[in-house]
Amino acid sequence: MKARFLVGILLLLMVATLSAVAKDIRATVIYDDRATDINPAQTPDGTDQLWVTTADLTRATRFEVKPQGVCREELCFPLPKARQADFLRKQSGKEWFNLTAFAELVHQPVARDTATSTWYFGLRSDQRETLASLRAPNFSLPDMAGNPHSLSDFHGKKILLVTWASW
Amino acid sequence: MAQDTGGVKDAGKWITDAKATYTVLIDQEHLVSKLYNMVNVPTGVWIDEKGRIVRPNEVAFIDDRFKTFTGLDSAPYLNALRDWVEKGDKSAYVMSEALLEAKLAPADANALLASAEFGLGEQLYKTGHLAEAIPHFKEAQRLNPKSWNYKRQAYKLSSESDYGTTFVKEVEKAGGSKVYYPPPDLPKAGDATDKKP
Repeated sequence: MKARFLVGILLLLMVATLSAVAKDIRATVIYDDRATDINPAQTPDGTDQLWVTTADLTRATRFEVKPQGVCREELCFPLPKARQADFLRKQSGKEWFNLTAFAELVHQPVARDTATSTWYFGLRSDQRETLASLRAPNFSLPDMAGNPHSLSDFHGKKILLVTWASW
Repeated sequence: MAQDTGGVKDAGKWITDAKATYTVLIDQEHLVSKLYNMVNVPTGVWIDEKGRIVRPNEVAFIDDRFKTFTGLDSAPYLNALRDWVEKGDKSAYVMSEALLEAKLAPADANALLASAEFGLGEQLYKTGHLAEAIPHFKEAQRLNPKSWNYKRQAYKLSSESDYGTTFVKEVEKAGGSKVYYPPPDLPKAGDATDKKP
């Protein structure tokens, strides 16, 4: 009786584990306003979480998982030690990374379109905090001929920055 | 900085016609509005030689072509600009740090989420998914009702009727065209109370 009970518990646990394993989906990730198709990605049923392989993480965002954290050039976000499993897991010989949990960690807004399986990642806190320091946030944009210009190119001059639109 | 999802296709004509001697850039993703928390056009920011903001977001008309609509005269703003060009940090129009800090407060959680919904809408539009884009533009408009950029850019990409409203109706709802643009917050001539210590 006791043994059957235990088997029952074990089966329940196995079913629970299996249902937590997400099936593969195709996803479009927009990061820094650049679109990357990701196949496979994973979204555990009933969640808003998006998992991608660590290789696709780098392809879509240029961030890499390193021992010290999730890094891009000199920028590094350490992952909370007690919550490693929220960000990283191994499955079918690949290492997976939870991009939405990372967005939450770096205070990055996320918008999702279910019909097209598209995920948009907005500005991270490190990209937004410049403004509060009274320093003008830098950016690089093309002119009509497609040549890039950065705000920093005008350092040493007074700048009048004006937005306008055709609409 | 043209805030135009349509890029050169929509903004190009204006740039060619203006025969500009200054740098004109095309901002398809409204990146500058995102980085500087801008909600309308034209919006001007003054940045000094060290890359420091000395006057943040405010309406920046360089002529009077919209004066009948806005009730705003461009002269006080242009005079203030000339004063700054001439006097630099000593200009009375350079804002105090306390005022700048108050005006440059970070976007709230809803405004932040709105910027992501708008960005998603733009991306869907660009990849031929207008029908899917519209609900995200609507969500951006709901989350940040202060942004005219989110309304007007979305109307331009399809039609006002997709949003069950018109620009004119929205302006009326906001109090009419004479308050559509809050006037620049300029100290009165000779009043230097807004000067840095």
